[in-house]
Amino acid sequence: MKPADKIENIVKKMSFKAGPEMDKDLWAETSKAQNEFRKTLAPSQHNIGRIIMKSPLIKIAIAAVVIIACVIGLSLWRTTGSGIALADVLARVENVKAFRYKWILKIYGDEAAGKPVNVEMRAAVLESQEHGSKSSVEVLDPNGGVRTSTEVYRLPQKKAIIRITPKQKKYEREEIDDAIAEQWQKQNNMDTGALVKKIMKCKYESLGRSIVDGVESEGFRTTDPNYKRGGGFKNLQVDVKMWVDVKTQLPVRYEEVTSADFDRNGNRMNQQFVIYGYQWDVPVDASAFAPVIPDDYTLVTAPKKPAPTEENAIKGLKLYADLSGHYPKHANWTSEYQWSLFEKSETSAAKRLQEDIKGLTEEEKANKLRDALLPLHGIGIFYASLVRNAKEPAYYGETVTPKDADKVLMRWKVSDNEYRIIFGDMHAETVTAEKLTELEKLISKFTP
Amino acid sequence: MIEDELLKWKFKAGGKEALQRIYEKYRDYLLTLAMALVNDAGLAEDIVHDVFVTFAQSSGTFKLRGSLKSYLATCAVNRCRDQIRARKRQPLSLDEDAPIQSDFNPPDRRMIFDEQSRQVADAMAQLPYEQREVIALHLNAAMKLRHIAGLQNVSVSTIKGRYRYGLQKLRLSLNGRL
Repeated sequence: MKPADKIENIVKKMSFKAGPEMDKDLWAETSKAQNEFRKTLAPSQHNIGRIIMKSPLIKIAIAAVVIIACVIGLSLWRTTGSGIALADVLARVENVKAFRYKWILKIYGDEAAGKPVNVEMRAAVLESQEHGSKSSVEVLDPNGGVRTSTEVYRLPQKKAIIRITPKQKKYEREEIDDAIAEQWQKQNNMDTGALVKKIMKCKYESLGRSIVDGVESEGFRTTDPNYKRGGGFKNLQVDVKMWVDVKTQLPVRYEEVTSADFDRNGNRMNQQFVIYGYQWDVPVDASAFAPVIPDDYTLVTAPKKPAPTEENAIKGLKLYADLSGHYPKHANWTSEYQWSLFEKSETSAAKRLQEDIKGLTEEEKANKLRDALLPLHGIGIFYASLVRNAKEPAYYGETVTPKDADKVLMRWKVSDNEYRIIFGDMHAETVTAEKLTELEKLISKFTP
Repeated sequence: MIEDELLKWKFKAGGKEALQRIYEKYRDYLLTLAMALVNDAGLAEDIVHDVFVTFAQSSGTFKLRGSLKSYLATCAVNRCRDQIRARKRQPLSLDEDAPIQSDFNPPDRRMIFDEQSRQVADAMAQLPYEQREVIALHLNAAMKLRHIAGLQNVSVSTIKGRYRYGLQKLRLSLNGRL
């Protein structure tokens, strides 16, 4: 026997069995769970079930159906037991050249960065494999109406994103390099194919058939936290449903509800995201992706976002600390990069900036602040890249301060046994896993 | 296979006997898989408990196209990953590559195992989690490498590499002990 065979056999023989006590406890809990769940079902369902099962004839008929189904239709059950396989849905989505859809996003929760969160956005999107995408995005005013309206063109061929804001008669052109384009696309989870793939990677169940948005559809659901894997969310709850047209096997509606702690006090942030109104395989013309910009609109040069590098993360962290006197609590929330957080700060850097914008027009002020605060995005962009690349990042901005020269502020894995660390005083080192364990004992840990 | 299809159907119909049969059939299978992944008797019991309780709560609405065995194994693996992730958030056990202390010898023999199994589980705990998961799913859960590649979201060749390296390390670790 080859050594490899031998070790494989040894592992295969590994066996752990429940002892009588464990068996008794496990079965008791399992059985109890089923009983309690059955009690929660609608009484009418119970009654119908009981009536049906009281009939000996129906019992025999059901038994016959079971046997026939098992003997004759096993292969059918495996492949189409719920009618549609998500892999087929994905294949069909990927074959579509162009489609339209709408989405609604609501983010709400307890206070973040000193303010209760209540954001609602909606959009209508046209996506084309060949040309890119065009979105009309509206941010709704909590008091009613539309606060801002923007047309966003993602043009991969031109490596640019163009945003047109009719209300302000402005447009913005952002040049993007390949890395940013890829990142931008990956972060944009509104891509339907990507959503199907994500569900497939999780444990999911079929919801059976139902009429959804007027279409006979079959539903798939996952509550697997891995759906948001790598987000660093604490106490994450996920409930995702996708409804698929049983005739075309293309999505009809997507619903995502997520909720997570954003601080150690258990304050929650909730997000509802719904995609609906799909129109598949719509005819498109290149002209639909050519932004129409009236002559009286002014061009705003969009600053290039920081690349996802350690250096840019340090720049961002340093700027944040200079402006506020402490580090952001979270590394992955861009809501922490708003001027409102610093406008009353007493630090010398914040006071300088407060002075700089005095007397400026709203437009000049917005431009000045945008440029001044831009490096802050280096934190989130870098952290997101670490999460995406499974570098095991952790961030301790809630407890580590700029005075903590020996405490780990941010860390990530660089090799099998090595981690890179940005310390509280902004110096960076690569250390072994053992050393990191020692260092992290020094801090009260909370992963954002 | 036929039995499992029948069990799935009966379980969906709310059958308690079906649940009991599924529990009896896969209890030790899941326990062994969980032990191979977390090497902690208490934690493995919790994981198997969670899998069955959640499964029991899906009675009546349950629908599954694929293999029941693979489904339960995937549920267990997801919970193991959650636990490993939770451990990594603990300051004292940050590194997934760090050996996990075994927690055997339950006083009332809640779990039954032989010395060889204990040594193998200890040796597997020395492996990086990804390698450990590939070996456990392939050898203990009889899952195909292609399926595991889907679970870990990597290519089949990466899975093969993890499997090969993992076995090499296991062989070195167990050399002379078994």
